[in-house]
Amino acid sequence: MPVSSLQPFFDSKGWEPFDFQKETWAAYLKGKSGLLHAPTGLGKTLAVYLGPLAEALEDPKPKNTCQILWITPLRALAVDTLRALREPLTELAPQLEAEAKTGDTSTSLRAKLRKKLPFTLVTTPESLSLMLTHADFADQLANLRCVIVDEWHELLGTKRGVQTELCLARLRAWFPKMRVWGLSATLGNLTEARETLLGSAFKKSVEVSANLRKEIVIETIIPQEIDRFPWSGHLGTRLAPQVVRELEKAKTTLLFTNTRSQTEIWFQALLALKPDWHDQLAMHHGSLDRSERELAENGLRTGSLRCVVATSSLDLGVDFSPVDQVIQVGSPKGIARLLQRAGRSGHQPGSTSRILGVPTHALELVEFAAARDAALERRIEAKPPLQKPLDLLVQHLITCAIGVPFKPEEMRREIQSSYAFRNLTDEEWDWSIGFISNGGKALAAYPRYHKARVEDGRYVVDDKRFITQHRMSIGTIASESTVSLKFASGRTLGSVEESFIAKIRPGNHLIFAGKFLTLVRIHQRVATVKPAPKTGKGQIAIWGGAKMPLSTELSHALSRRLNGHGSPSPEIDAVKPILDIQRKWSRLPDDDSLLVEHARTREGEHLYFFPFAGRLVHEGLAALIAFRISRQTGEAIQTSQNDYGFSLNAKRGLNLDEDSIRKNLSTDSLLEDLVDCMNTAELSRRQFREIARVSGLILQTPPGRPDRSQREIQSSASLLFEVLQRYDADNLLLLQSEREILEKQLEFTRLNTVIHSLSQRPIFTVETENLSPMAFPLWADRLQAIHLGPDAHTRLESMLVQLEKAAG
Amino acid sequence: MNLFTLEKQTFSLSTEGAILIHTPSGPVLVVADLHLGKSATFRARGLPVPEGDTARDLGRLLELVKKTGASRLVIAGDLFHAPAGITPELNWSLQTFIADLQIPLTLVLGNHDAKIRNLPSGLVAQTHFDLENFRVIHDPAEASPDHFNIAGHWHPVVKIRDGKRTSLRLPCFLWRNRTLVLPSFGSFTGGAIITPEPGDQFYVQLRDQVVKLPPEIV
Repeated sequence: MPVSSLQPFFDSKGWEPFDFQKETWAAYLKGKSGLLHAPTGLGKTLAVYLGPLAEALEDPKPKNTCQILWITPLRALAVDTLRALREPLTELAPQLEAEAKTGDTSTSLRAKLRKKLPFTLVTTPESLSLMLTHADFADQLANLRCVIVDEWHELLGTKRGVQTELCLARLRAWFPKMRVWGLSATLGNLTEARETLLGSAFKKSVEVSANLRKEIVIETIIPQEIDRFPWSGHLGTRLAPQVVRELEKAKTTLLFTNTRSQTEIWFQALLALKPDWHDQLAMHHGSLDRSERELAENGLRTGSLRCVVATSSLDLGVDFSPVDQVIQVGSPKGIARLLQRAGRSGHQPGSTSRILGVPTHALELVEFAAARDAALERRIEAKPPLQKPLDLLVQHLITCAIGVPFKPEEMRREIQSSYAFRNLTDEEWDWSIGFISNGGKALAAYPRYHKARVEDGRYVVDDKRFITQHRMSIGTIASESTVSLKFASGRTLGSVEESFIAKIRPGNHLIFAGKFLTLVRIHQRVATVKPAPKTGKGQIAIWGGAKMPLSTELSHALSRRLNGHGSPSPEIDAVKPILDIQRKWSRLPDDDSLLVEHARTREGEHLYFFPFAGRLVHEGLAALIAFRISRQTGEAIQTSQNDYGFSLNAKRGLNLDEDSIRKNLSTDSLLEDLVDCMNTAELSRRQFREIARVSGLILQTPPGRPDRSQREIQSSASLLFEVLQRYDADNLLLLQSEREILEKQLEFTRLNTVIHSLSQRPIFTVETENLSPMAFPLWADRLQAIHLGPDAHTRLESMLVQLEKAAG
Repeated sequence: MNLFTLEKQTFSLSTEGAILIHTPSGPVLVVADLHLGKSATFRARGLPVPEGDTARDLGRLLELVKKTGASRLVIAGDLFHAPAGITPELNWSLQTFIADLQIPLTLVLGNHDAKIRNLPSGLVAQTHFDLENFRVIHDPAEASPDHFNIAGHWHPVVKIRDGKRTSLRLPCFLWRNRTLVLPSFGSFTGGAIITPEPGDQFYVQLRDQVVKLPPEIV
């Protein structure tokens, strides 16, 4: 048993291996691949790493070649991972090296790694993909034993996840005996997660679960005067004074919010209450400059900070042992997410994770109670994997052709060994091959185009310029077009989306990185700012960012809580007066039935639906029903939605009986109606930007190196979208764009399930005198609904008419 | 078409993004920024953008010439996109176009045209084209103080907010000081949003006419 060779390391630490660690080593040494599922901070790194290490130590073959690849989803994690991997190396095999190669790696180290790879290489999916373009990569990996994919739950369901799947398919084709191990937090679909990771190697694989239940405590700050606590809103800092008292009790707190703007708001609120904490407070979100983020991270590591206000940018596995309290501001949104965040505290094995919820409106109290129920029952969300993103496939095919020319039939087999592309059709394959070689259209829509050439039956890309262009475009999946925020002195504060900064005019104020700033100018992707005068009130940066919907699991737990299920809890006691009003004026909604409230105000008629299906689905349902009703009545209908339900608002024509409600919720011609009412054409045009970038239709310009010849082939995604629609309407990327936008904007799969379930549920219609507590937030939000009008001419015409009227 | 009279010269703006200057010897039609061969440039550089724009744009232009009964066609620069886009197919389409045109064609040299060493036969480029007090140039920055200038180069687009978070982006004629900047004529050209300056006038297409935008909505 080669595992004995690990003993010195455990002895030196005074540790005893956990059972799940031994189980993982044994499975690995039997030649198996698999998925290890364990909460953070329980030694899962050693569980997957020491198997291949022990095996390598026993092997008489030369050791100092690359034998283990470690894939991490976050560049920021690479440093910590490296530290963790070097510990056993130092003890057991000091001659073996571990290095990281990511986008952050210095040029000199990169050059060194280009010549020779270390025993263990830590890298990201993008960097791995990039290495596939080097012809000698397969030779360098000749002794590869094992690929480990860290935080697989983060990559699953994303395009970067599919990129990982494709890279693994390539490595598997080269080295059929290689083993793959994934690490994942708890998911509702662990088996599917494993199958997605392993593709055709799934059959003989295993799942190992660390059965060390980590104690998790979910508590909530209860507002003192519930009747003065808002029914709606999402930024409320009303509980900030109570939060300060909690911060005083703990040593180091991580305070999570849901959006970047909420992060800035809470940072300001805490500072306003405790000005003398300004050295002990920091913030962390994805837009901040790396140096700012590292400052916060180091503060957490050393425990020198009292509190870091953060978004999901700190969700992932960096080990911050000193953190002894985690606070969640606002809706937890999902159970897996809340558990992940709770796991940021009590990082030592055996200790308890504790998370304190801070509601921003009354119903979030119930959400926290519901999240606790679901967490206890281990009802965790599933993360569905992505299917067949063709933009990524064409990118990968070029990547492979640059590295080693391939035969199409072999490559197809390799691609279909991945889970995402296992059902690739002939049509899709032919189209993809055409896209990278001659345009692929029978009619000559792409004269003189060729990227990959066919030579001796193999596809090859050898034009130096194409290769450079392509390398530049790998690894740009996640990034949106951003502008960096700088002081005139040159100090970088971070970066923000172009669309956001474009809304602020020079001379106006904004708050970023906790600083009040005045925008001076925007020039070539750099926004110059200066400190704002003390008196200036900053407009808080409102990012477009994703508004995450409440998960199905949490919605269900919430609906049960609202209806009196579950053990007594302080949250429910606190919110009881409001629930009583809801019951008295209307009834308590749940997800087994459908409550529809009808009300009249001075503005006209209102309909409130409460399907409990998350805001995205509600947005789609609202648009759908508004579209169907107005098709009959001709009335303009405004809509709004939140995580619990949606509202329709019109001058007249909303007093519907159960039959007509059912008719409007019908599943007949669902997709057609949705495509019509959601202005899908306009939305998929926007979605196309990402697809165009990934598939190589839009070039990435290298930072700080404006190349004149590159400018000739710059184009906006929306222009390309138009050109493709006009001259190559069957282009599969257009279809992908529509599919992605339906899923992203409306969670179409979930919407489909919900609307089918609604047709089975009993409907309760209630006429309300006053807006019920559940309806009120929807009413307050009613002006925020976006109505993209019909075509541009009609919109312009109506504006001109209005102006004329105003001029009278 | 709406008629304007300026410095004793009458002209009109067309919904296709052209200007028609009415002279005693017949109307002169000016368009800017066709960027012919742009998709071919992309393809030559390994980006799969389908062909179709060249034939379509030349067809539209020919139709416009016939419709307006123009006696001369002036291109205010950037007829071509890049050397890599000048394919034999483009050359052939262009020769057919010139033959069908049957009126004199003047090319004012644009920055993109300047990169092309040998212009297709039948084309001579000049730096500007004068017509009484009017001057056709490419880059508005080169406007002559002694003339009323007609230029291209900017691909002007005006952004109109028509809701809390929605806005329209429309290609437009921009009239700034003594220069009229034409929208780009090519269908694969895109545009740049113009930041309004005091005194700017914007004209956009609205169904079958060109209308002036009231300053309060720009």
